[in-house]
Amino acid sequence: MLDQVLDATIAVIIGVSSCLLYFWGTNLLLETLVRDKQTANGQIESRDELRHAIRPWLFVLPALSLLFTYLVYPVFETVWLSFHDFTGERWVGWSNYTWALANPEFLQSIGNNFLWLLVVPSLSVVFGLIVAVLADRVWWGTIAKSLIFMPMAISFVGASVIWKFVYDFRGPGSDQIGILNAIVVGLGGEPQAWITIPFWNNFFLMVILVWIQTGFAMVIFSAALRGVPKETLEAAQIDGASELKIFFLIMIPQIMSTIIVVWTTITIIVLKIFDIVLAMTNGQWETEVLANLMFDWMFRGGGDSGRGSTIAVFIMLAVIPIMAWNIRKFREEEQGR
Amino acid sequence: MSMIKQLTTKGVFLAGTALQSLKKSTTNRLMNTMLAALATVALSSVAHAGGHSAYKGPDLSGQTVTIAGPWLTADEESFEAVTAAFEKATGAKIEYAGSDSFEQQIVIDIKAGSPPNLAAFPQPGLAANMAAIDGLVPLGDDTAAWVRDNYAAGQSWVDLGTYADKSGKDQFYGFFYNVNVKSLVWYVPENFEAGGYEIPKTMEDLIALSDQIVKDGGTPWCIGLGSGDATGWPATDWVEDIMLRTQTPDVYDGWVANSIKFNDPRVINAIETFGQFAKNNDYVEGGTRAVGATDFRDSPQGLFSVPPKCYMHRQASFIPAFFPEGVQVGTDADFFYFPPFASKASQLGNPVLGGGTLLAMTKDSPATREFIRFLQHPMSHEIWMARAGFLTPHKGVNLDKYSSEILRKQGEILLNATTFRFDGSDLMPGAIGAGSFWSQMVFYVSGASAQKVADNIQNSWDSIK
Amino acid sequence: MSTSKRIRLTPGQLMVHLGLLLLVILWILPTVGLLVSSFRDKDQLAATGWWTALSTSVQNGQGRTGTSEQMVETGGKFVIAGNLLDDSKRTILTFNTNFRDLTAYKAGEVLTFKDQSQIRVEADGSYRWESEQPIEEKRGKRIFFVAESPPTFTLDNYVEVLTSEGIGQSFLNTFVVTIPATVIPITIAAFAAYAFAWMRFPGRQFLFVVVVGLLVVPLQMSLIPLLRMYNNIGALLDVSAKSYVGIWLAHTGFGLPLAIYLLRNYIRSLPRDIIESARMDGASHFQTFTRVVVPLSVPALASFTIFQFLWVWNDLLVALVFLGKGDDQIVLTSKMRELLGSRGDNWEILTSSAFISIIVPLVVFFALQRYFVRGLVAGSVKGG
Repeated sequence: MLDQVLDATIAVIIGVSSCLLYFWGTNLLLETLVRDKQTANGQIESRDELRHAIRPWLFVLPALSLLFTYLVYPVFETVWLSFHDFTGERWVGWSNYTWALANPEFLQSIGNNFLWLLVVPSLSVVFGLIVAVLADRVWWGTIAKSLIFMPMAISFVGASVIWKFVYDFRGPGSDQIGILNAIVVGLGGEPQAWITIPFWNNFFLMVILVWIQTGFAMVIFSAALRGVPKETLEAAQIDGASELKIFFLIMIPQIMSTIIVVWTTITIIVLKIFDIVLAMTNGQWETEVLANLMFDWMFRGGGDSGRGSTIAVFIMLAVIPIMAWNIRKFREEEQGR
Repeated sequence: MSMIKQLTTKGVFLAGTALQSLKKSTTNRLMNTMLAALATVALSSVAHAGGHSAYKGPDLSGQTVTIAGPWLTADEESFEAVTAAFEKATGAKIEYAGSDSFEQQIVIDIKAGSPPNLAAFPQPGLAANMAAIDGLVPLGDDTAAWVRDNYAAGQSWVDLGTYADKSGKDQFYGFFYNVNVKSLVWYVPENFEAGGYEIPKTMEDLIALSDQIVKDGGTPWCIGLGSGDATGWPATDWVEDIMLRTQTPDVYDGWVANSIKFNDPRVINAIETFGQFAKNNDYVEGGTRAVGATDFRDSPQGLFSVPPKCYMHRQASFIPAFFPEGVQVGTDADFFYFPPFASKASQLGNPVLGGGTLLAMTKDSPATREFIRFLQHPMSHEIWMARAGFLTPHKGVNLDKYSSEILRKQGEILLNATTFRFDGSDLMPGAIGAGSFWSQMVFYVSGASAQKVADNIQNSWDSIK
Repeated sequence: MSTSKRIRLTPGQLMVHLGLLLLVILWILPTVGLLVSSFRDKDQLAATGWWTALSTSVQNGQGRTGTSEQMVETGGKFVIAGNLLDDSKRTILTFNTNFRDLTAYKAGEVLTFKDQSQIRVEADGSYRWESEQPIEEKRGKRIFFVAESPPTFTLDNYVEVLTSEGIGQSFLNTFVVTIPATVIPITIAAFAAYAFAWMRFPGRQFLFVVVVGLLVVPLQMSLIPLLRMYNNIGALLDVSAKSYVGIWLAHTGFGLPLAIYLLRNYIRSLPRDIIESARMDGASHFQTFTRVVVPLSVPALASFTIFQFLWVWNDLLVALVFLGKGDDQIVLTSKMRELLGSRGDNWEILTSSAFISIIVPLVVFFALQRYFVRGLVAGSVKGG
């Protein structure tokens, strides 16, 4: 055990220090190599300009090369691979795409992903709003928010274990140890193997993500609601507007842009949803989603990089509008500065 | 499997302590002599097991045979005990190298032109691939004829070891050594006694027994298909076993190679026969919906609950490892052969589904040829039988050599077999045998029709061609 | 809010309290169930729901009597005696030899067999089987019983997963992955963010727009090319394609866009005067950065650190692709997923290892929640 801890510590130290060494070392190198020169006639020639031109690149070079290797180049390579066969060597044209669009598993994944896109962001936003509004009105609001926020810290796999236990199924007549079936049986119903009931099981998986993401939505909304001018709210109260009216007619429009941001953030997470489906059903019982299908093809039967890449490209296509919108918004902000 | 191994290890340990006390009791000469006499008897019975004479080989001093295989730890020790007997008899030297990445390593070695003399392949698919690139040396018709005559269901073993070489000519390459069986139904003997149930000899009886158990207010079967990523595979064993009991071996082989389509009526019939068990709410513990949701490792637990949740569980020989703690196989649990249909028995006999390792020659040498001859001698089987984790279809062995009653009974199933077939899903392409076949069987028990799932599997097979 | 107002709003306020309480209970119940279960005795956990953890549980069981070999002759009678229970926790209520009617005999009563031999089973599990004739019993008779056991809580489940299930090792592995995969990207991103915020170089604007675009690129687009690249490099250098260095760099690459974006926005918002006066004093950019900007940016650095730490700790996909599954490399999430596959319904193992896997993020989370929230808000309210 001690050996392992030691090995681990050494690995960590090496990893971290070599990174720090780069920045310190290149800076030292720059200072020594590009030193101010003393010319023949005794004057000092400043080479500040040169150092200024080089230093930014020393600062951004590690970041840029990593970004290029791990994100930019792979995007193009994936698109390229999607036009090749499973070995990645033979050009096959559009055949991976025609395969995908005729493949029932793929179509089912598209359908399920749509379902996820509709349900998870909307429910997370609704619950997040409700909790944010309610928690601002009670003295124990901070504790309540903390507890509802907690699932954010739990991994998708951990959450899957937690919820698999909730959905646990025993045959009728046995004691149920999953709380959902215990409640159903307590109310006189038949126990169900929840995650194996096609179509509805999708919702049982979505609950897990809603459970996690509501906390995120709540925290952001809570911050945004604090930004709604007090005067506006008080004026409305004096006018005799009901709480509901204030909520829908004043608060919601005030934080609309935040709602959109939260919505898109959760949308991106949903598009990539993988861990929960893998751990709960591995796509069985008609719960397949794109990211899991892609993972499956990446390794299934020795791996098919062509079909795997094709599925990834479909996920990317769904993200592109959000990406464009992000960039446009950023440009506007920069100009506004 | 591991439970059986533990039992034997314990046995070895006991023998060791007995030997130590033997050394200590030097004063008691009488005792000493008696034990020594016993030991001699035991040793000679190894040498003259079953009435056959001990193996005597030619003098091969100075020659070396290299063998690569997947056997590790206890299996490796057992195999080395076998090779030691060969070394003693011939003077040749055998170097065995076991590896958990055997399947990658052997391909690399063969392609690089530096293979060992013999390779022990855990499944025929890879051996067939190597034969197709002329990476294997044929064992010859004599050996094939020997296997046909001396192994139970001999023709099956010859077929499983015969592959096409580079020019497309079928040759005999694979000598099966160390096999296992899957067609087992596990039960609790005392629960059968309490219910007055007999062990069924035919599939018709098995179904009648299932009905009887239902009538008595019990549930006959525990079936669980859950296995994480691999959920569904236990159903493929069912379908394969039923295929072997309803169709000729040719049809089975055609199905595995997809020359008979997956949605052929004969295959659909097998799936539906499985459905008679798994999709019958009265037959399975927890009802049909529990079948897909129950983990295969938890499934046999129902046999041992109070009162029993089920009476029978079909699974391969490894399953005792997942019985509850303290269950003694042999006393608390036992198994019987998954029986054939009486209506088909005359035509199909007793088919057995299973797996096994085959030795193939990757580099010829006289000593290697002699080792193959050694493997035809019962002694080479009995040495491992007396240890653990080994079954053989060799008809000449002494069954008393099996280290436990359980292994002996499994050995008998092999000897009574008229047909032996390899687990079909292991032979199909990964995308089918470890992909759509699994997932579609789950789909089947969750409500889809046999026709529908068979169509889906065939479609996925077409899409990888 | 005045007191009178509060009283006037009581029904509404009550609704607010109840509604929020209901939501909170709904949200924490699954986790509480996991936590409670992980401390329960494994037999009880498998038999009854965790919400009954505090009550006495009643379970069926069975035991086997001794055989003829253990029989002794006393007072003219042949006796086999012993105990059916392997533990002292349970108390037998009723028993029978027929599992169809478990409540036929109460503990302490006598059951008479067909051969007129008699057996008496006591509540503590001890039994005495007496007969006038020698008893013929080769394997021991099965006695079925109904027993109750008091609620039992134990650390056994944790001991088991930490030792024999290899969770302890993967806990360490997770740290080995997480710490460098958090520190390296934040170091690299901080330098880059400073350059993007306060240094002049050609293409600065364009490159930063690229970073903004990369914020949302799905991981899935990178996996296959990187897997191929790693395999090629591995084959070329004759080393394993799965290594800690490999996953550190992968997490760094994937985490960089958000890190650069967040930090650049923060550093950019620092007062220009501070940066410029430092420059005027003759400090180089390197010195300005390390001595002025980094100390001022601690809140932003902290929030990204937590963010990245949680993300890496909780990641499964990257670990599955870039790390091996051997004991020396497997991380907690990966291990959990293996356990879900291999230990099926062994909830004592699943619950305790799940709790071990979430305890570190939970501690980090509750200790540093303020920074985490700040990071989230900065990340999404501003940009998305």
